[in-house]
Amino acid sequence: MQFSREKVRAELLVILGAHAQAGATVKDSSHLVGDLGIDSLGVMEVIADIEDKFHLQIPDEALRDVDTVESVIRSIEKRLENAGRLQG
Amino acid sequence: MSVYQPRTVAQAIEDAAGSTKNGYRFVDENSDAEPFFSHGGVERASARFGGAMQAMGLKKGDRVALILPDNADFVFAFLGAVRAGIVPVPIYPPTGLGKLAGYLDNTLHIVERSGAKVLITSSEIKLMLGTIAQKAPALQKVVAVEPVRTAKEELKPAKVTLDDVCFLQFTSGSTSRPKGVTLTHANLAANVRSIMQLGLGVRDTIDSGVSWLPLYHDMGLIGFVIAPIYHKNTITFLPPLLFLKRPARWLDAISRHRGTVSFGPNFAYALCVKRIKESEMKGLDLSSWRVAGCGAEPIRAENLRAFAEKFSSVGFSEKAFVCCYGMAESTLAISFSKLGTGVNVDTVEGDKLWSAHKAEPAAEGSERAAPIVQCGGAFPDHDIQVFAPDDEEGKTPLGEREVGEIRLRGPSVMQGYWSEPDLTKRAFAGGWLRTGDLGYLANGLVHICGRSKEVIIVNGRNYYPQDLEWEAGGVTGVRKGNVIAFGTMKPTGDRERVVLVFETMVSGDEAINKLKGEVRTAVQQGIGLTIDDVVAVKVGVLPKTSSGKLQRGKARELYETGELYMRTSARDLDRLDTVKELAKSQLGYFRTALFGTKGED
Repeated sequence: MQFSREKVRAELLVILGAHAQAGATVKDSSHLVGDLGIDSLGVMEVIADIEDKFHLQIPDEALRDVDTVESVIRSIEKRLENAGRLQG
Repeated sequence: MSVYQPRTVAQAIEDAAGSTKNGYRFVDENSDAEPFFSHGGVERASARFGGAMQAMGLKKGDRVALILPDNADFVFAFLGAVRAGIVPVPIYPPTGLGKLAGYLDNTLHIVERSGAKVLITSSEIKLMLGTIAQKAPALQKVVAVEPVRTAKEELKPAKVTLDDVCFLQFTSGSTSRPKGVTLTHANLAANVRSIMQLGLGVRDTIDSGVSWLPLYHDMGLIGFVIAPIYHKNTITFLPPLLFLKRPARWLDAISRHRGTVSFGPNFAYALCVKRIKESEMKGLDLSSWRVAGCGAEPIRAENLRAFAEKFSSVGFSEKAFVCCYGMAESTLAISFSKLGTGVNVDTVEGDKLWSAHKAEPAAEGSERAAPIVQCGGAFPDHDIQVFAPDDEEGKTPLGEREVGEIRLRGPSVMQGYWSEPDLTKRAFAGGWLRTGDLGYLANGLVHICGRSKEVIIVNGRNYYPQDLEWEAGGVTGVRKGNVIAFGTMKPTGDRERVVLVFETMVSGDEAINKLKGEVRTAVQQGIGLTIDDVVAVKVGVLPKTSSGKLQRGKARELYETGELYMRTSARDLDRLDTVKELAKSQLGYFRTALFGTKGED
């Protein structure tokens, strides 16, 4: 399955929106834990959702990319690109 | 039935070595292969690790610190050390999102205090540890585990007796720095017998366990690494992070491998209810699961009932629940609810519990009815009694249904804390181990109400912080599970003032003030207590232990010194440090971030 950069961003925002604390606004610069209030269990849930949505397997080593929304977008794009599934 | 003969862990490993059908299976997230080591294979692999440690110059009685995120590495290294008479000191791996500086500080404390000569870890974590070797005088080297896996050193026979120290279990208390619980082989033999034979009726070679529990924690280590060796059971280990990411994998492993025994803290069962989808339940068969243990944190009957309700359609029986009470100072287990009876709740008058220290059965329809989960009675050869917390001599046990501190004695009780004579002295009262837990006995069965050190006393009445936190956690805008309540004599010193601190995403003075008001009202209405000070803080500010437990004592300290107001979120404080360190290493960010991701203290 192919994803464009716009699609990656849009899908990720949907996922994060579902896990962020009420009242938090999801921005590219938002930090998942500090700004969106997603706790450690929540982050694991986000990872599972990302794997399901983008048909990726994310190794634990990649989890250090979990910092800001933007860094997560980059990480997903990189993985899709390596798999030849990133458009544009 | 044969007469019980206690055996050392080292002996049990050798006794199990003839077993070729049973052993340890290690599930790997990224591969369908599930490497299986028969108990004979475990014996051989542990001999290689033990031999390698001897070749590093370690001798009987020396301590070796282990920071090994890989389950198989940990099991072989731990058992290898034990067989060589070397004392392993398990340390939790670094947490990804957390404060690295805090982690290093804690690790250094454990390494120093244990006097470990060698620290074995993965090459990735070795990089993160940096200069730790220079700071701990007794530590001679930090060794990467990868070359040890293929070491060909032979284990030189070491005489290990029941009175020898088997390992040190460092516990992160809610109020103090980690202390090394010193456990002998005799302690382990006694507790393993209590758990396996007397508590769970485990059948040699037949019962089969499944565990995702971290192995640096007593429940995973003793319950699923050590105890099964004595009974030659097969255990399937999952990486803890895999469970947190995909809880269904836990139940899937039980289903596929016909697991009969598996344990988890309360939150694990709640997580399964919340996260496992209908589609993931297809094909599951949990009918083999006869012991579903729940312990290590307060048990909420409603969480367990919800689990039973959800998974009964795939064969789970509510009667499989075993409610457990235990602590590292008692090796692992103190008491288990009776096998096959499920969750037993004693409903008492909450009011009387707090005001009169009495657990009076609640009248029907009582508004103050408080459900207290029953955790069974003392194991044979062990004694449990309840004492007034200020009864330093431990001479006068309280009566039936009187609330006080639970105390224990018997062969499972530790010798003391390693190199901590003062703390050891304080841990006992007249030969009884002080658990620090408040509870009562009814028909000889243990019921836990809370931690005595943390009880808030207002006008002679006891309030349990958990109850205040539970009420506050129900208010929209408050981060559930991120609320701490405590009492403080400061600043006035004349009476205990009640403080409640919660994390929130809400910002803006007006919104915050409104939220604080709602929290006050919720606690007032739910418990009848007026909070003196409600404090709202940002996410990541509240202190937690490595296993994610709230640190009430630490929070009080921060409040009293005014530091709480200055703390911003964990990431602001330590972000640069973390980024720098992580950039240097290849370490999996989360591989090691198990329960908590912030606020290591």
